[in-house]
Amino acid sequence: MHPKLWVICAAYNEAPAIGRVVTELRRAGYKVVVVDDGSTDGTGQIAAAAGATVVVQPINLGQGAALQTGIDYALSQDADILVTFDADGQHRVSDIPRLVDALGRERADFALGSRFLGQSYNLPALRRWVLHAATVFTRLTTGLRLTDSHNGLRALTRQGAAAIRLRQNRMAHASEILAEIARSGRRYVEVPVTIEYTAYSLAKGQRIGDSVMILRDLFAQELSR
Amino acid sequence: MIAQVIFSLLLCSVLLYAWTEYRRSPVVALLSFVVAAAGVYFVWVPAHSTRLAEFVGIGRGVDLVLYTWVAISLIVLLNLHLKLRTQLELITVLARKIALANVNVRPVEGRREPGATSVSTLNDARTSPRKPHPAELDEGRSRRKRDRSA
Repeated sequence: MHPKLWVICAAYNEAPAIGRVVTELRRAGYKVVVVDDGSTDGTGQIAAAAGATVVVQPINLGQGAALQTGIDYALSQDADILVTFDADGQHRVSDIPRLVDALGRERADFALGSRFLGQSYNLPALRRWVLHAATVFTRLTTGLRLTDSHNGLRALTRQGAAAIRLRQNRMAHASEILAEIARSGRRYVEVPVTIEYTAYSLAKGQRIGDSVMILRDLFAQELSR
Repeated sequence: MIAQVIFSLLLCSVLLYAWTEYRRSPVVALLSFVVAAAGVYFVWVPAHSTRLAEFVGIGRGVDLVLYTWVAISLIVLLNLHLKLRTQLELITVLARKIALANVNVRPVEGRREPGATSVSTLNDARTSPRKPHPAELDEGRSRRKRDRSA
């Protein structure tokens, strides 16, 4: 167990899932910070009761903003390794050691989970197609050769986390992280992970129409640079 | 003649707007400038606008001027969108500072008042000041520099 490893969960109205996610992470011995992104269903209280440190954003800003808040918090706590982990329960705690091992083994600053190198259960066909299209987009815009560009399970070294800065508050943050990794010029590695979609995580997850919003936000950011 | 003067004044105000916006969003400012300058030219030399309109298949020169005006409106709309994004970024920085200044380190059993809704209040008394992240310091410095130069 790495003593300075923090797991970051961005959560917005995740009351049905956050308790189990935090409990499993805490049982595995990880320090957990849940960034409650202005939830109205008691997500923060449930996470705190399950043993997480809770950072409450006073208003709902989006997953990207919440992740950056969690990264800032973990860095302020002298974290050496930071892991981003979705709050809806679709990731497996047992994948975290693989990501951390890959950082050391490959001397990388970013270990990115890939469901297409690993396994995914109940992934709808249309979403699979959109995710493949997103990897092509990522390759064209950043030059990164990835098999899964929108996976929320990642591990970052302290240096890696300090080298990136998320300005995309909402869905486009997943693409922005990759752009930031490419800009930083630091090493990255993909690691096979398992994602299990449930009716809950599918309902909470991104819609196909969100990809249009993501493109709009990325375009707007390019214009305002 | 009266319509030409009115249109020219409106387009000149767009040129002025483009000039003031150049530092904040150069792409939008340049687009506004080019379209508005073309608009002024065509208002005073309508024959050329008619020739250009025929060349690009619009029909009448006055339609071209109208389309130019619509293009300017869309560019200004885009700029407003970008400004809103900038405002949201500032709000995000503020909300993040508030959130990180009120971190609940661990739930405190039995201290919650009935009806309390925010866990951020549970441990306020024990909250220690957070060290700023280096990127936050850079962000603050660059923002202050931008504000000074604006």
